[in-house]
Amino acid sequence: METTIRKPFSKDILQIENIEIVCNEIISKLKNDVTRKLQRRGAVIGISGGIDSSVCMALSAKAFGSKNVTAIMLPEQDSNDDSRVLAEKLASKFGITDLLLENITNALDGFGCYKRRDEAIARVISDFDPAVDKAKIEIKQNAASNLPPAFSVTVIKPNGEIISKLLPVKEYLQIVASTNFKQRSRMSMLYYHAERLHYAVIGTPNKHEVEQGFFVKHGDGGADVMPIGHLYKTQVYQLAKHLGVPQEIIDRTPTTDTYTAEQTQEDFFYQMPFEQMDLIWYGWENNYPANEVGNVMNKTTQDIENIYRNFERKRKTTEYLRMRPIF
Amino acid sequence: MQIKINIKDKIRDYILQSTFDDVKNVMDETLIFEEGVLDSMGLLFLIEFLKEEFNITTNDEELVVENFQSINNITAFVENKM
Repeated sequence: METTIRKPFSKDILQIENIEIVCNEIISKLKNDVTRKLQRRGAVIGISGGIDSSVCMALSAKAFGSKNVTAIMLPEQDSNDDSRVLAEKLASKFGITDLLLENITNALDGFGCYKRRDEAIARVISDFDPAVDKAKIEIKQNAASNLPPAFSVTVIKPNGEIISKLLPVKEYLQIVASTNFKQRSRMSMLYYHAERLHYAVIGTPNKHEVEQGFFVKHGDGGADVMPIGHLYKTQVYQLAKHLGVPQEIIDRTPTTDTYTAEQTQEDFFYQMPFEQMDLIWYGWENNYPANEVGNVMNKTTQDIENIYRNFERKRKTTEYLRMRPIF
Repeated sequence: MQIKINIKDKIRDYILQSTFDDVKNVMDETLIFEEGVLDSMGLLFLIEFLKEEFNITTNDEELVVENFQSINNITAFVENKM
């Protein structure tokens, strides 16, 4: 009887050994999915200046040729200004000439995105002034806590004063529902261009975003193909280096670029650095015992067990986001 | 003693009604988050229920497993705050 010997858990376990072969497989599959299965003749991709969209754009340029890729920057009033410079640099690096700028601020104003969000924040922090204050929502609990995460709203005043309060459920839901207009408006604009050109929309979520539910249903989750949806974040970085994504993009801390205050993805959702999360997620997904993972990660078995439960909970509670309509 | 029972009954009734769960699946010592009776949204709605029903405001630092893991723990948390 044949038995498979599993690799011992280590910090290198997610390292892609032959990066060129993996890239070529993704490129070949992407080309086949878009041109054969979806019967489309090119790709539309929203670029933010972040690592995931940059890698997807590089893969698309190689799969379809740069002249068959339309890259679109979709900023709004809360977006970081650096993103535009980086997006231009990225497009130039991969020879994308069809680089469009679609500012969605007016569309968001029309939906009442900012007004609805700011009303909810002001109900929790009464002296919040959206004209001058910055705000964000974040999880303050440790991922190893055995309770599900709860969000707090943090307001930063112009003098640096920070006010933070646990968000009541109604306000939390209203803030999330309002800001989700951003991702859904971007999706609408991407499909406008995709239909205009008979192209497919390339989705940029990575494995964590897909499986932990860190995406907006019918927003950034609304796409035709997701070429890096099976890759851990550290593997996306490996691809980025191999494909020649500009170093400034690789060096940037991943942010949500959704709230007015600086907010990393770690603060907002993941509760731990990517390098740790990737490895522990791999351990959980592949049934490595918590003590084996804990020894490598310098954490207690109890901490790893709690983090495993946190992952389980996130996957389960976000199942709704990944479900197709039921009929 | 009667007040204590009322608090616990109200918390139990709320959890059963909000989750549509079977009464026999949720005992006073059931670990409601570990067992999947409530999820993260369930925790937020529970905090809102505690505020509306008992006028208890929960702070960031009180969001610990010792206060919320079971009906017994939630009851003790409410009693301490009242």
